[in-house]
Amino acid sequence: MIKITVKLIGPLINLAGYSEKTLEFPAETTVEEILASLPIDPLRPKIVTRNGQAVAPGEKLKDGDRLAISPIYSGG
Amino acid sequence: MKGWTGHILRINLTNRTHKIETFGQEFAEKWVGGRGLALKTLWDELRPGIDPLGPENKLIIAVGPIAGVPAPNTGKTVVAAKSPLTGGFGDGNLGTRATEHIRKSGYDALIFEGQADKPIYVYIEDDKVQYFPAEDIWGKGTYDTHDYLYKRYGKGVGVLSIGQGGENLNRYAMIRSLEGRAGGRPGIGAVMGSKKLKAIVIKGSKPIPVADPEGMRKLGLDDLRKVGEINKQTGWSIQSTTGVLSWCNEVAALPVHNMRQTHHPDAWKIDGERLNNARVATYGCPNCTMRCGIAIRDHEGHESELDYENVGLLGSDLDIFELDQVGSLNYLCDDYGLDTISAGDTLAFYADAIEQGAIKGDFRFGDAEMAKKLLGQAARREGEVGNLLAEGSLRMARTIGHNSEAYAMQVKGLEISAYNCKFIPGMALAFATCPIGAHHKDSWIITFEIKQSQRDSYGPEKAAKVIELQRIRGGLFEFIVACRFPWIELGWPLDHYAEYFNKVTGLNWSLDDFWKVSDRIYALMKFFWVREFPDWDRTRDYPPMVWFDPSNADKEGPIAGKVLELDKYNQLLDHYYNQRGWDKRGIPTRQTAESLDLKDEIAEVEKYTKLE
Ligand code: SF4
Repeated sequence: MIKITVKLIGPLINLAGYSEKTLEFPAETTVEEILASLPIDPLRPKIVTRNGQAVAPGEKLKDGDRLAISPIYSGG
Repeated sequence: MKGWTGHILRINLTNRTHKIETFGQEFAEKWVGGRGLALKTLWDELRPGIDPLGPENKLIIAVGPIAGVPAPNTGKTVVAAKSPLTGGFGDGNLGTRATEHIRKSGYDALIFEGQADKPIYVYIEDDKVQYFPAEDIWGKGTYDTHDYLYKRYGKGVGVLSIGQGGENLNRYAMIRSLEGRAGGRPGIGAVMGSKKLKAIVIKGSKPIPVADPEGMRKLGLDDLRKVGEINKQTGWSIQSTTGVLSWCNEVAALPVHNMRQTHHPDAWKIDGERLNNARVATYGCPNCTMRCGIAIRDHEGHESELDYENVGLLGSDLDIFELDQVGSLNYLCDDYGLDTISAGDTLAFYADAIEQGAIKGDFRFGDAEMAKKLLGQAARREGEVGNLLAEGSLRMARTIGHNSEAYAMQVKGLEISAYNCKFIPGMALAFATCPIGAHHKDSWIITFEIKQSQRDSYGPEKAAKVIELQRIRGGLFEFIVACRFPWIELGWPLDHYAEYFNKVTGLNWSLDDFWKVSDRIYALMKFFWVREFPDWDRTRDYPPMVWFDPSNADKEGPIAGKVLELDKYNQLLDHYYNQRGWDKRGIPTRQTAESLDLKDEIAEVEKYTKLE
């Protein structure tokens, strides 16, 4: 198992009921698998970063990674 | 003419006279309204080199053809003048009931010229213009000023006022309306103050000329409801713009310590979640169903309405991570009528300059109490420090010396909004090419850079995206004059705006017709700058040098060891200029300007520089 810190941003916090949590996933879990496990509409446009960098589709996560999931903001 | 009233009210404050002038369909279609109308007026009427704080400058208040009509977020007005902060073109927009009343009084714009001999305020009701002494409110903040005027005229009028900042010619003073927001970052409030004009009160009773009034009413009200529903579904207003703070902290784009750092472990203390939890009230502009103003109680117990820019610059950039104290600084800026962005950047620059040993002083990062005192001194220009701070970071740096200009976080004299671009090339380009100085309003591409492009790319796709956004945000939304949030935050389609425009004007424009107006306005804004600074070169479109300085790179985190690279930035700037049809100096070529129907403007600008 690997530990991943999931950081939710903006209204996603209200959908999931938490803003930051460290969760356990099987080794080699992909970003998509983690997103699918969250109570957030899969069709909702999101921006996902891993340790502050953009993630490529199918990217496998490592123990200790930080995944930030945000709605798409376009700037005030 | 439908859509436009075709009337401009010109008020001369020196001799307290006014007249109503007219314009025709051709002019209306060429410049549309808001930013376009204001820019063209300033271009035609201002002599280059005039003192922005002297009687020759003009204050333009301009609305657009869909302003005041029920449709999503159309309660905005543009305020513009030659900027006392930058010396170039300056404008901004704000939500206010004045928008509707300007239209209902029968005008598309108000022009204030000259200078009153004593403080006054002006009351406009349809064709009537009255001048009243402002002694009772001169020296008061914007809250008391609004209270005084509402007591006298009732809550339904539109009020635009300045605070002590504008009165004392602080160069980043804004114009405020308690019915919405504040606007005019590049010191437009100081221009109003220089005219000794404390406030404008306006009330109109005429119908707004709409080509298809029934169709527009139905469509507009329906769309207002739909935007409200989407807002509810997405939950955007739960944190409104302040959700961006956590995201910037995650991706190393948060302004911290005068933008020397890009993230901070205490950022969560002032994030959107905390703000929403502390919410005591919600505010919005007229004609808006996604009210984005979150008010909290500040340290002294006032209600203070915050958005991301305020929190980023009066909070993290000053290393202040107590939300109520950030609220206090924001409240003071609002009351004094100061731009929160420039105020935050300027204070951060001052603390940095002290830390670097460039100047002596008592202010340290994180000292909220001292920051409050300094804001008061800056607003009132009290003492040496107050006078220095009132000048903004670029003039301060030039006074202080010791190479401090490199870390004065501004472009063209206007301070940078709350996105730290030490390693975000496209957003750095957006700030650097923004036509009023470093403002996020015209183009915001960080999410595109992180999600759809490579962060370290300096490729043509980023220049193209900056231009695309400038056409929409700095063009369309500023000349038809509407808040961009339904489109940018809720994905409300742009075609709707063409529909509103066509229903109001009876024209049949497509979005492409709007882009041509946008490009024309961008070209003329550049000509305005070039006429003021005939030695124009591309270095004026550079972000601050500290973003290129390897010694300023983050030591840890997502962008550790990385900063912008100047040769690559120049390539990106070339892409931008090429795609716009501008030369290597960043000036529109003759061919570009001709294609935008700027024949007279070419003749004028060529008195100052030769076009390629
Ligand atoms: S979204 Fe916010 S800024 Fe835009 S009109 Fe509504 S309240 Fe004003």
